[in-house]
Amino acid sequence: MNSGNAAGGRSVGYTGLSAIIALVSFAQISFGAAIVGETRTVSDIPEVVSDIDSIKVGYQRPQDIPFPENNPYTLKKALLGQRLFFDKRLSNSSAQSCASCHDPGYGWGDGLPVGVGYRMAKLARRSPSIVNGAWGATYMWDGRAANLEDQATAPIQSAVEMNMPLAALLTRLGTLPEYNLLFEAAFPNEGLSATTLAKALATYERTIVSEQAPFDAWIDGDEGAISERAKRGFAIFNTKGHCSSCHEGWNFTNDGFQDIGLPGTDAGRGQILPQVKKMNHAFKTPGLREIASRGPYMHDGSIGTLEAVIEYYDRGGIDRPSRSDLIVPLGLTVQDKLDLVVFLQSLSSKLTPTTLPVFPR
Amino acid sequence: MRLLRLLITLGLFGPSALALAASHTIHQKGRMFSSELKTVKKGESLTLLNDDTVPHNVMSVSPGNEFDLGSQRPGTSTDVTFTKAGEVEIICAIHPRMKMTIAVTQ
Repeated sequence: MNSGNAAGGRSVGYTGLSAIIALVSFAQISFGAAIVGETRTVSDIPEVVSDIDSIKVGYQRPQDIPFPENNPYTLKKALLGQRLFFDKRLSNSSAQSCASCHDPGYGWGDGLPVGVGYRMAKLARRSPSIVNGAWGATYMWDGRAANLEDQATAPIQSAVEMNMPLAALLTRLGTLPEYNLLFEAAFPNEGLSATTLAKALATYERTIVSEQAPFDAWIDGDEGAISERAKRGFAIFNTKGHCSSCHEGWNFTNDGFQDIGLPGTDAGRGQILPQVKKMNHAFKTPGLREIASRGPYMHDGSIGTLEAVIEYYDRGGIDRPSRSDLIVPLGLTVQDKLDLVVFLQSLSSKLTPTTLPVFPR
Repeated sequence: MRLLRLLITLGLFGPSALALAASHTIHQKGRMFSSELKTVKKGESLTLLNDDTVPHNVMSVSPGNEFDLGSQRPGTSTDVTFTKAGEVEIICAIHPRMKMTIAVTQ
């Protein structure tokens, strides 16, 4: 009768026959857990908006980058963060930097099916693009990092990634006088520490924002900025394709977690919330900016092309209890699929080349 | 049938934990809870209404008031009755921006 389960399986319904169960189970309430009632259908079922002009309003780019109160933007912090981001000495081997997996030349990913870590070992998941990270709700494919400051130092310390304990890294950086000066300038009276290292990296990462794409010009009113096929693809994206149920807004993600039914044993978000059935095999919905040049796709890099991704969603993934209710066969036509690809290509911008910093020696 | 009626009657007039009437409703339209903070009495039920266009998965791991609605489809509502006084942190497991606190009073 219940649509879900209370933790520990102590939740019960309380209407009709469920009332019997409720009474029988009442003694269990004292052990803890809220009582979950029967799920009812209500009359005011929400309507999905299908008017394109109304839909377009939700895709306006924000004007400013959000920075947290406890780590506001300064140019000195951002420039220090940039040096650190590209400095290979942040890894144990001094052969890997943050940019090894989050390379601006590959849309801030690495273009590989899965990341490559310490001693060239393959990792379990694809390196996600870090573009537009300033707007993220959680970080990593499984959302285990609550903010960019936490995210920034996690791969550095991970034994399978950069394998560099922070204490050892701080010692290493501390031997370089210029880094000490840069930290002191960016963080007066704080200097070099694990906290300021994370803050500098996070500040730089927040400045990595996707650039104006033809799609943005269309949203701003230039009807000729994208083709009619791309416009039709946008309509399918928001209606028949249900893509925007997860890939919503200007950054094309609501940062939600969904099991899209891909094969594999990786529990994803289920490692963080093991008691929630729908989180098993669930991964964070990635944004779609620059998506045409960010393949291979999916959290495991298992699908090589955008065309194949759309075919996958049209079929729906493996039917299992954790699979998102949004993953269903879509019934897209050949033309629908082609138009979706053209639309996704309109999210690519003419990227400004990234200038590499000179490193303290 | 008599037994069933008796049990339902006991449910209706028995402990407040089985209160049937949901006096508080939380909406979930636009991937947002309609309130950041709600106060309910222990034993009072709270209605979690999915008036959004996508499924939600409302849950809590707050000790003594744990629950997991599972996938709640658009156009459905579920009542939750809290059995322990204190603060209950509620989230949607799917949408991490959806967070709220229930203050459960004695």
